[in-house]
Amino acid sequence: MTRATAGVASAVTVRDLGCTYAGATRPALDGLTCELPAGGLAVVMGATGAGKSTLARCLTRLVPCFLPADLRGEIRLLGQPIDGARVGALAGTIGMVFQDFEAQLFSTDVTQEIVFGLEHTGVAPDQIPERVTRALAAVGLAGFEGRDPTTLSGGEKQRLAIAGLLALRPPIMVLDEPTTDLDPTGRAEVFDVLGRLRAEGLSLVLIEHDTAAAAAADLLVLLRDGRIAASGAPARLLADVDACLAAGVRPPDVCRVFAMLGLVEPPLDVTAAAERLRARGLVPRVSDEPVSRPAAGSAIIEMRGLGHRYPDGRRALADVSLSIGRGEFIALVGPNGSGKTTLAKHLNGLLAPTEGRVTLEGRDVAGLPLETLAQRVGYVFQDPDHQLFAATVAEEVAFGPQNVGLPAAEVEARVAEALAAVELRERDADPFLLDKGARQRLAVAAILALRPDVLVLDEPTTGLDFREQERMLDLLDRLHAAGRTVIIITHTPWVIAEHARRVVLLKGGRIRYDGPLRPFFADEGLAAEAAFRPPEVTRLGRLLGCTPLSVAELVAWIGRGA
Amino acid sequence: MALTLYVAAPTPLHRLHPVTKLGLLAAFVVAAFMVDRPLLLVPLAAVIAVLMVLARALPNVRRLRVMFLLVFFFTLVVWTFFYQSVLVPTYGGFLYGLSTAIRLDTFLATGILFLSTTRVEEVAYALGRLGLPYTMGFTLTLAFRLVPVFFDAALSVVQAQRCRGLEFGRGGVVARLRRFVPVIVPVLIGALRRADRMAMALELRGFNSGRPRTTYLRARAGAADVLAGTLAVATVATYVVLWAAGIGTLAAHP
Repeated sequence: MTRATAGVASAVTVRDLGCTYAGATRPALDGLTCELPAGGLAVVMGATGAGKSTLARCLTRLVPCFLPADLRGEIRLLGQPIDGARVGALAGTIGMVFQDFEAQLFSTDVTQEIVFGLEHTGVAPDQIPERVTRALAAVGLAGFEGRDPTTLSGGEKQRLAIAGLLALRPPIMVLDEPTTDLDPTGRAEVFDVLGRLRAEGLSLVLIEHDTAAAAAADLLVLLRDGRIAASGAPARLLADVDACLAAGVRPPDVCRVFAMLGLVEPPLDVTAAAERLRARGLVPRVSDEPVSRPAAGSAIIEMRGLGHRYPDGRRALADVSLSIGRGEFIALVGPNGSGKTTLAKHLNGLLAPTEGRVTLEGRDVAGLPLETLAQRVGYVFQDPDHQLFAATVAEEVAFGPQNVGLPAAEVEARVAEALAAVELRERDADPFLLDKGARQRLAVAAILALRPDVLVLDEPTTGLDFREQERMLDLLDRLHAAGRTVIIITHTPWVIAEHARRVVLLKGGRIRYDGPLRPFFADEGLAAEAAFRPPEVTRLGRLLGCTPLSVAELVAWIGRGA
Repeated sequence: MALTLYVAAPTPLHRLHPVTKLGLLAAFVVAAFMVDRPLLLVPLAAVIAVLMVLARALPNVRRLRVMFLLVFFFTLVVWTFFYQSVLVPTYGGFLYGLSTAIRLDTFLATGILFLSTTRVEEVAYALGRLGLPYTMGFTLTLAFRLVPVFFDAALSVVQAQRCRGLEFGRGGVVARLRRFVPVIVPVLIGALRRADRMAMALELRGFNSGRPRTTYLRARAGAADVLAGTLAVATVATYVVLWAAGIGTLAAHP
C-alpha cells in the first residue's frame, strides 16, 4: 500500500499542548512539544497517569470529543491543524488501536469487520473487496475471511482490529499498549505487523511499557506527570538508568549492567554489549552457582495423573503430576492454551479433574467444602475488575471473611491485617475509583483476608507500570518470606527470574519442564517452547558463559572476577 | 465458547436474499399459528426438517437437542393434565398438548434454521431494507457480538467470587438473590467500561465520519428467491384457508 506521506516532512507536530480534563484540578498534559517525522516510529513511555493515553487521545480528537477537556496549544497531522475536527472525520488520517481488543471488534465475521469502516467512510462498494483483501494480508490474516472473530486468538483479534483501521488507509497510526493483554506469541505477531507497516512508510506512535520495543524507535518520549521528562534517540535516553526509573520505566538490563560497571554508551543489542564487555576484559570469572533444588517443606498440594477434558471433548490437561511444597514460589509458564489456568483452577477446586486427583495435605480437594478451600488456597484472578463490587475498600475485603462465617471482630481484624499487607490506606475509598495497581492490590487483599496458606495469582503484573509491578512483586516476596506458598502464572521473563524459585512449563496440557530456574533459562530450546526469550541479562550472561538471573548477580560475578 | 449458530456453508439456503429468509421465517411462524391439529402441523415440521438438512444445520439441532426435548415433553404433559381439568389427563388436552409441542419445536427449529443460514449482519441488512433505521439493525449486530464476551466475563466473575467463599446454592430465595449482587455489579461495570471504549473505537473506525455511508452487502434476489417466496406465500395461504374453513381447529373432545 502506498501512503500519502510523500512531500510532507512531519507526520505529527505537537506544540505546547496542554490538556485539563473537565472537573480535574491538575492538567493531564502540560506544555508538550514534539515532532514525529513522516514514516518514523515514536515510542511514548512513562508511568500510569503520566499522560500517555491522553496524548494519544488528543491526537485522534477523542479528547475533547469524547472526554471533555480544556485543550491548549496546537496539533498538526501531516501539516494540517486538527482542531475542530470530528473523530470520525479523521479516520482516513490517523488510526488508533488500544489494549482492549474485544472493544474494537463489532462484527460476527472477519470480512464484515473490515467492511464496517469502509462503509462508514463512504468507500464505493466495488472497491471494498480489494481493500479487505489488502488489509487482511497486511496483518497476516489472509485466508481468515468469513471466520467468526470469537474463534480467534488474542493476537489475531488485535491484528484484526489493526486491519479494520488499515483498510481506511491512514498514514498515521497510534497504538496505545496494543500488546499488554497478549501472550508472547501474540506480542510477537503484533510487533511483526508494526515492523511491516513501518517498512511501508506508515508513521507510528506506540505507547509501551517494555523498553525492548523502544530500541528501534526514531524518537523516544518519556512522559512524567504530564510533561516531557526527556525525548530523543532511544539509545541516549535508555542509557540514563536513573532518568528511566524516575519516569517509572524499567531500563533495559544491558543499560543497568553498563551503568553499574561504570561504562558509558551501552549498546541496546545484547550481542554488541557482550562484545564490549569481553573487549574490556569484564567477563564473569565465576561460573553459575551450583544448581540446588530449593529446600521445600512437606508437600501441601499433590497432583497425581491429573487430566482434564472440557465438556466439548477438548483435552486441556494430560497426565500432570506435581508436588507443591509448603513455602515454595512457583512460576507456571507456557504459551496461551497450554493449560496453565486450567491447571491452576484445579488447585482450589474451581475445576474438577476428569482423570487423576488433587490432594490438599492428603485430603482430596473434590471432597472439601468451599469455605475450607477458600481459606486454604487463595486464587487471585487476572482482572481485578472481575471481582470488585463493594462500595468501599474495607467492605470489599470483608466480603470473604463474612462469607466463611467469621465473627464481626475477627472480620475487622482480618480487614486491617490484609489492607496493611498490601499497603492500602484508603479504607473508605470507592474501589472503582482506585487506579489499576491499587485495584490489583485490593484484589489480593480480598483473598489475603481469608488467610490462605497457598496463594495462586493469574498474571498479577499484567497491565501495571514498572513501579506498580515492583510493588506487587515486593508484596509477593514478603508473603513468601512469611511462609506462604506462592504460585504465579506469568509471561514476563524477568518476573520469573527475579522472584520465582521453581518453574513449571506446560505445553499442550503436559508438563514439559519442572525444576529450578537456571537450567530452564540456560536451555534456549525450552524458552522457545515457552514462547518467550529469557530476560535480557540472562541472554547477555549466556554470551559470556554464565546464566545470571538478575543484573545484580551478573555484575557481582564480573566484579568478583575483576 | 461459541454461542453463534451460523454455519458457514455454501448451500442454496445460505445464498437466499436475507429479506427472503426473513419472509420464510415469518411465513412458517404464521402458518403454524393457524392450525391446531397435530396432523396438519406435521408437514410444516417436516419441511423445516428437510431444509435443516439442506442447510447442513443438523449439528445445531444436536447441540440444542435437550431444549427440543424439554419443550416438547413439558408442553405435552402440562396441556394433557391441565387443558380441560386440573391434574386429570384428558384426550383433548393430549391432542392440544401434542399440537402445541410440535408448534413450539417448529418455531424453535425455524429460528435455528434462520440463524444457521443468516449472518447477523445480514439480518441487520434485511431489517434495514424493510425500513428499520440503520442504528437498530446495528445494535442488534453488536448485541450478538457482545453476548459471548459478556457470558465469558460473567463466568469469570462467578468463579472469582467463589474463591472468596461465595456459595450460590444456599439459603432462601432472598439470600440467593442477594448473592447475585457480587456477580452482577462487576459484570455491569465491566460492560459499561467496555461500552465506553467501544464507542471510541466505533468513531475511530469512521462511524459518524460525516461522509455518506455505503452498503457493501448488496444481496441480489435471484430465481431461488422467487421460488422460496412463492413457497412462503403458498404455505401461508394454504394454512389461512385451512383456518378459515375451520379444518385446522381441533374437534371437541368432551
